[in-house]
Amino acid sequence: MTVPAPLLEVERLAKVFGSGRTAVRAVDGVDLSADAGEVTLVMGPSGSGKTTLLTMIGGLLRPTEGRIAVDGIEVTGLGKAALARFRRETVGFVFQAFNLLETLTAEENVEVALNVAGVLGRPARARATELLVAAGLEGRLGFGARDLSGGEKQRVSIARALANRPRLLLADEPTANLDSRHGREVMELLRGLAQEQGCGVVAVSHDARLESIASRVYWLEDGRIRREA
Amino acid sequence: MRPHVPVEMIGGAMAARRVPVARRNLLAEKTRLLMSVGGVAFSVLLILVVVSLYRGWGAAGGLFEELPGDVWLAQVGTSDPLRTTSFLPADRIDEVAAVPGVGAVVPVYARRISLDPARSELTVYFLSLDVPSSGRQPPEAQRFLPPPGTIAVDSVLAREAGVSVGDAVSVLGRRLVVERVEPGGNPLFQIAFMNGDDARSLLALDRLVSFFLIAVDPGADAQQVARAAATAVPGSEPHTSADFANATRDLVNQGFLPVVGALVGIGFAIGGAVIALTIYTLTIEKARDFGVLKAIGADDRFVYRIVAVQSLAVGLVGAVVGIASSALVATLIRRRVPEFVTDLRPLDAAGVLALALAVSAVAALVPVRRISRIDPAMVFRA
Repeated sequence: MTVPAPLLEVERLAKVFGSGRTAVRAVDGVDLSADAGEVTLVMGPSGSGKTTLLTMIGGLLRPTEGRIAVDGIEVTGLGKAALARFRRETVGFVFQAFNLLETLTAEENVEVALNVAGVLGRPARARATELLVAAGLEGRLGFGARDLSGGEKQRVSIARALANRPRLLLADEPTANLDSRHGREVMELLRGLAQEQGCGVVAVSHDARLESIASRVYWLEDGRIRREA
Repeated sequence: MRPHVPVEMIGGAMAARRVPVARRNLLAEKTRLLMSVGGVAFSVLLILVVVSLYRGWGAAGGLFEELPGDVWLAQVGTSDPLRTTSFLPADRIDEVAAVPGVGAVVPVYARRISLDPARSELTVYFLSLDVPSSGRQPPEAQRFLPPPGTIAVDSVLAREAGVSVGDAVSVLGRRLVVERVEPGGNPLFQIAFMNGDDARSLLALDRLVSFFLIAVDPGADAQQVARAAATAVPGSEPHTSADFANATRDLVNQGFLPVVGALVGIGFAIGGAVIALTIYTLTIEKARDFGVLKAIGADDRFVYRIVAVQSLAVGLVGAVVGIASSALVATLIRRRVPEFVTDLRPLDAAGVLALALAVSAVAALVPVRRISRIDPAMVFRA
């Protein structure tokens, strides 16, 4: 019987910024994996390379060395157009600063992600509504993004990330800008979604509260994995 | 990679609406939008007013087509009625009238006369149709046939000469009363009408006429009639009313077309610059939003479409406002300035609208490089 491959495989991943004497190895030979239906947490202090690692997994930054495979897709070998397709179909992003489009409503922020994937009109609206209701925002659908609280913005951000049914959700400090109550709510939401939708969640954070929802925790320091739990 | 699109999302609804990101971006800063639309509208207004002014002045040539006749017999070499002089023997009228297909012949007297000897620039082209005063004339011909002792002028000439209905003016030493002031005219040349009896005695043209104006019988071949009539008057050549009208329009074209071209070019340059500046600043301002869209998988085309829609929307709204306001502005100015004779044509408005949209499309290309350089990874920076 063959063991199914992990949803995410990262091998000997490295990223060097600059060159010569000013070269900085932000990520230095990282190996990690993550499975569907689980929350994988990468922790570490500021400047440890967490966000750089996440950015490379999400196909937004090309690694200097190493390999990334998501759901069988060799991300490191993809061209520009294929990377864009990978980002809209295979991964979803949850940002520390939410990154909602301020001129749009909560519902439109989710809908626009579906538009990006070619889903338009009523089907897009219905999917956006479904996700926001699931995120507990049924009373905020038509609210402008700028009129939402931090916790609500992060919920919209999560709904947007899930709009195109990604296999892997990448969350960058998802609780950093939230108070403890909203932070806990977002954590529960991430765990629930991972289990219900069967997608994997990779979160990078220095918030120790996230350990309680994680199935696997990596400790990153100076661009290297120091511990795995 | 699998398409994560549910079955119910495939089909006709795929062609449905998108989230109106472009509209929301524009409406987010209403003052800037107003200024942009205002800038484009002002450019379109400038362009359309100049073009309609050109059309209005050019319409003065149409007078020759409104006069009751089809063919003008003129002295050989008289291609332009306003700038050349024509003399024909008056006693050949019966021979012309006898040409098959000729319905009626009217002797026409024409001469440039200084209306006010003290003002050399006020030179008027007087036309006189020698139609018997006793005959009943159709109402539309009345403005060309003032009664003896009177003249008919247009409003531009009336303003230039400082006269109105009932005022007397001195023409070659004789007092003639302004009988009517017709709307229209243009500042390049003035045309007035006097009675045939007055013209004959004032211009001392007892045995000469300037032109024979021929009305061709319905069904007759105008070209054939014109050639036959010309053979009846030695030293003459035929011109259609359209020939004379076009020659007069050429006068306007020569004096006005280069100016129109320059102003239209400037107008479009200003409009294009306003749109380009708006779209470029908006692109820079929304760079992070575009970065977010790229991060979640939007390709450059998706982002370009937003920018293009923004640009076209500003161009379209500005052009429509400009077209609407140009008609209003032209009317308001004309109340105070009679020389401001405009003719706003739907086809010109449609052309300006199409060009405004074309300029908008070009302006949308200005931030293309900026958009392609937006790094989606920027969204991870707080």
